[in-house]
Amino acid sequence: MISGAYLGLFQAPADYQQGDSFRIIYVHVPAAWLSLMVYVIMAVAAAIGMIWRMKMAFVVAICSAPLGAVFTALALITGAIWGKPIWGTWWTWDARLTSELILFFLYFGVMATYHAFDDRKTAEKAMAMLCIVGVVIVPIIHYSVEWWSSLHQGATIFAEGGPRMPADMLTPLLLMIGGFMFFYGYALFITCQTMVLKNERKSRWVREVISRNHSR
Amino acid sequence: MSPTQKKRLTVIALVVLGMSVATFLALQAMQSSIEYFRTPTQLASEGFDPLQTYRVAGLVRKGTVRKLEDGVTQRFDITDCENDVTVQYTGILPDLFREGQAIVTVGKFNAEPAFIASQVLAKHDENYVPNEAADAVMLAQANKCDDADGPVKY
Repeated sequence: MISGAYLGLFQAPADYQQGDSFRIIYVHVPAAWLSLMVYVIMAVAAAIGMIWRMKMAFVVAICSAPLGAVFTALALITGAIWGKPIWGTWWTWDARLTSELILFFLYFGVMATYHAFDDRKTAEKAMAMLCIVGVVIVPIIHYSVEWWSSLHQGATIFAEGGPRMPADMLTPLLLMIGGFMFFYGYALFITCQTMVLKNERKSRWVREVISRNHSR
Repeated sequence: MSPTQKKRLTVIALVVLGMSVATFLALQAMQSSIEYFRTPTQLASEGFDPLQTYRVAGLVRKGTVRKLEDGVTQRFDITDCENDVTVQYTGILPDLFREGQAIVTVGKFNAEPAFIASQVLAKHDENYVPNEAADAVMLAQANKCDDADGPVKY
């Protein structure tokens, strides 16, 4: 991620029509990608939890929600900062921007649903159902720039006939995306660990872990 | 996989399928309001309502940009290489504004009919090009309509 940031911010050539302001792509695109990827992971985890009644899957889903919301917010904010000098507006109600905003609210909906129930099992099931139902937004966001006319441009990396940017711009971007993925994985691991310990605080193994840490 | 698990899997698959169909139908119904802009060709075939505000997008037609006497009002044609719309705009144009650039204008038609824009937005494309290659790309962009056959996409 650090090498990606360095290459992206200092080494990659400036874009011909956007100049240096295009460099915000190195935050905007990874954040937007992760906002979609995290939601898909949430929905898959929720489905696994519902089908096999796996406790850990629910934990992964609920711990992903705030992380996904942060990525979505980051994508929206950097998009606004980018949009102002290039398009001439912070915000406009085109298909891509609006659907990404809906995704942002969806993440909050998932978190609110989970915390609205006192009983954890009910909360997990309600939250998982919302995750699964909401997954239809992901293809809508991805294809919004192809299905409808929009101010947001089409796909660059997955464009027909290969990426529409030279390798010295693309490599740092892919590094940044990889870095964001590792960050998500790491953050997910820590939050899940905390949540599992909290959920199982009454069980014997957690007490043993805690007393062992205390005596050290 | 036990029978109950299979049943749950089927239910979830059906929920996702049902949700997709419902969303698809809803989006189909809203199709025209989700469209961000209209092209000059669409307006030429549909006509326009002088009371309605439109978003019209097109490429800035080569050689049509001119300033009116007041010094702050510009007039230019936007085109999809098939039909043109004359736009009049008072104010500062975006940095990206130039011949061949795709732009989105917001405003109303007057009696002339020219499109009186209250806002001009630049729609940058999905291509990223280093500075060194800029001149060639810009030239190709400005001349895009010369060898276009029918309406171009932007």
